[in-house]
Amino acid sequence: MTPQRFSMTRRAFLAGTVATGAALIVPLRLSAALAQPQEGVGIAHAFIRIDTRGQVTFVLPTSEMGQGTHTGQAQVLAEELGADWSSIAVEMPNQPAPAYRIPSGQMRSVGSFGIRLWHDPLRRAAAQAREMLTQAAATRLGVAPTTLRAENGVIVHAATGRRLPFGDLVEDAMQLPVPDEPTLRPDGERTLTGRTVARLDTPQKVTGKAMFGVDVERDGMLYGAVRLAPVFSADVEAFDESSVAGMPGVVAVVRVPRGAVVVADSWWQAKQAADALDITFTQTAADTLSTDEINEMLREGLARTDVPVTTLRGDAEATLTTEGQVVEAEYSVPLLTHMCMEPINCTAESSEERTELWIGTQGQDVIRMTLESAMQVPAERLFINTTYLGGGFGRKTHGEIALQAALASRAVGGRPVKVLWAREDDVRQGQYRQTMMCRFRAALDDDGNITAMRIRLSGPQMGLEYGFDPEERAQATGNLANFDPFSLGGLWDMRYVIPNFVVEHAVVDLPIPLCPWRAISHTYNGFFFESFMDECAAAAGRDPLAFRRGHCEGQTRMLAVLDRVGEMSRWSEPAPEGISRGLAVVESYGSYVAQVVEAQANGEGVHVERVYVAIDCGRAINPGQVEAQMQGSVVDALGAALNQKVTIRDGRAEQSNFHDYPLLRIGEEPSVSVSIVEIGSPLGGVGEPGIPPLAPALANALFVATRQRVRHLPLSDHVQG
Amino acid sequence: MTAFTINGRTVDVSAVPNTPLLWVIRDELKLTGTKFGCGVAQCGACTVHVDGEPVRSCVFPLAGAEGRSVTTIEGLSEDGSHPVQQAWVALDVPQCGYCQSGQIMSASALLARNPSPSDAEIDEAMRGNLCRCGTYLRIRAAIHRASDV
Repeated sequence: MTPQRFSMTRRAFLAGTVATGAALIVPLRLSAALAQPQEGVGIAHAFIRIDTRGQVTFVLPTSEMGQGTHTGQAQVLAEELGADWSSIAVEMPNQPAPAYRIPSGQMRSVGSFGIRLWHDPLRRAAAQAREMLTQAAATRLGVAPTTLRAENGVIVHAATGRRLPFGDLVEDAMQLPVPDEPTLRPDGERTLTGRTVARLDTPQKVTGKAMFGVDVERDGMLYGAVRLAPVFSADVEAFDESSVAGMPGVVAVVRVPRGAVVVADSWWQAKQAADALDITFTQTAADTLSTDEINEMLREGLARTDVPVTTLRGDAEATLTTEGQVVEAEYSVPLLTHMCMEPINCTAESSEERTELWIGTQGQDVIRMTLESAMQVPAERLFINTTYLGGGFGRKTHGEIALQAALASRAVGGRPVKVLWAREDDVRQGQYRQTMMCRFRAALDDDGNITAMRIRLSGPQMGLEYGFDPEERAQATGNLANFDPFSLGGLWDMRYVIPNFVVEHAVVDLPIPLCPWRAISHTYNGFFFESFMDECAAAAGRDPLAFRRGHCEGQTRMLAVLDRVGEMSRWSEPAPEGISRGLAVVESYGSYVAQVVEAQANGEGVHVERVYVAIDCGRAINPGQVEAQMQGSVVDALGAALNQKVTIRDGRAEQSNFHDYPLLRIGEEPSVSVSIVEIGSPLGGVGEPGIPPLAPALANALFVATRQRVRHLPLSDHVQG
Repeated sequence: MTAFTINGRTVDVSAVPNTPLLWVIRDELKLTGTKFGCGVAQCGACTVHVDGEPVRSCVFPLAGAEGRSVTTIEGLSEDGSHPVQQAWVALDVPQCGYCQSGQIMSASALLARNPSPSDAEIDEAMRGNLCRCGTYLRIRAAIHRASDV
């Protein structure tokens, strides 16, 4: 990666040059609704760079962690620009952090936003570049721009067959103003999006050439391994540097928040020394914390009477006390960790004058804020090079590793240091998906329809850490108190039509670091809600699909994915011999996903044979990658639902590696059939929405098989696995 | 010093003999296609061939490589033309891609000794390679595809 620097004024973009000479660089500008320009801060965040050789490079705004965002964004850009798909290049920006600012003032790759947020701004920027090139060609040829077409990297004058490659037009186009209101290609010309094209990163990823954070190499680089407090809220009491001073390769022991980084000539040497380091940690009130105690706190939250009443619709309590059949159930989910295949790491080269990082991160701006507050690194002296991520799943939104690496580099005179956590550090040091409990009560009328539902969620809030003020949000959303979208998403905004509906959150603070985990609150709220819908259907004596349909009046997208998955799975026919079926449907991140799980459950355990997936994500930019995300999500979510939990004992995580926190292995994966429902919906996310329906669909299938309702994850704690 | 062959090149390495081969490959020989995932032979991201056999280099001591021939993903083919790599490309197997070097090294070792593996044989040979992105469906399909070549 050759560093490219761009200053942030509009004029500078147009006059910008890169190593290869003059280049047309069109900044991506967000629509007025999204852009929040701040004093001295640019709002251009992604770029189309075309050099005089005609090389088109897209500098993309979101990190590639497997979700296919780079390929999808490049499809949108190349199509609108008229670039030659076979020769485009993509990069991540590596600019001073202020240039990274994107909606909400943050550069983050979260919330399945890569396509749905960036589609329109990227398309507009590409149209601007195309119009500038076209105008340059029109002037050169003495024809009207409307007689020209941009295709495969060439401006073509069809009437005469004259062809001007983009590269020949760059220097002229650079002199032109950027059009404010470019004309977008009509739908009929959109031939690169909406179809499966091969991922741009696959060739690098099958040859070992793809550059992940852990692969970064710098001249004179040293390596760091960590030794961190096993109890999350503890800090270093003391360490004895001399305990490792004589060990081979050891260069320094660096104090960092809640632990130490041992720096050595090789990582293996650093790791040996970190393990041997004589270090003690402070005692904390959480030193005796256990999963049992946490569960007790959550149960207490379910029982609390001081939680504000938060009526979303009607009056659930009145209806529940006066009307017919009442269904009640309680559910829980454990802490989860992320297990990105690439352990946490960052390489830093840091001095007072300049801090440069190389990291596979989802949270460039989180890193900026972390280094700003902890080390007073001014944003204009911070440079972040984003590499590929060996998985993200929400874990790589944090800044702690960047701080550890920067502190380590400072301690060794500004030499580059690559700090890499061992897997055990990764598992034991969090951050974790919330553990939650939830209690539902619903009233059914004589026809078996839900007339009222009251939901009590008990557990921690996470939103404050991510800049969401629950009180501010409460006002914005009406009367929902304690409103934290990271906790309540999937409950308060669920799509079923239930006339009397109350959701409340008993906030239970836990001394455990939390972090978004792929699909965040929808992972557990999807499990809670869709399990409970099944319980209601059973209480009403109705078919689970028909029962859900009956609560979807006017919910076109819910109905569309339910009906599609019903067709795919032949739901109306008896299940195959020995197979039990379960259904769930969850909206999350702008997409609707319904899944039917076909499972075998007998005395020998549970085996999921097949999963049918119907997704409405609006227009599928790359259907093959939508399918890939659905396939992967099923496997990922199945592993979590069956086997995964982090338990706490003596204030620390009990698990440490893949042997006690198992992912699904090959041979345990079901067949997965995916169908994309396109009914003209707005663009939705794809990286996360495949996760939430799996656990409830599986639990619902197990109920059919065993008549046992498993209300607590992981399932293997309750069912012979 | 430990002498061995890696991707056809003879090297002489000074790291202490009990250093896991993984760290020699990555940090000393700068072949970073082989990945660190767990350090305890649980995930397979570090899989390389030693004399053609797949081994987890994170627990394979450098001393064990003395005089032997090591192949990493960089040495599987010069240009990504190995049938397994081509099958992986044809089916767009990788997502994040971090585990895929190890997956491909395990798959290529499997196919070298069993050109037409059954599903059960694929499960047996590939169980040691984890993928959090959940690409197993495409891995299985790609191995079958490569076995047809």
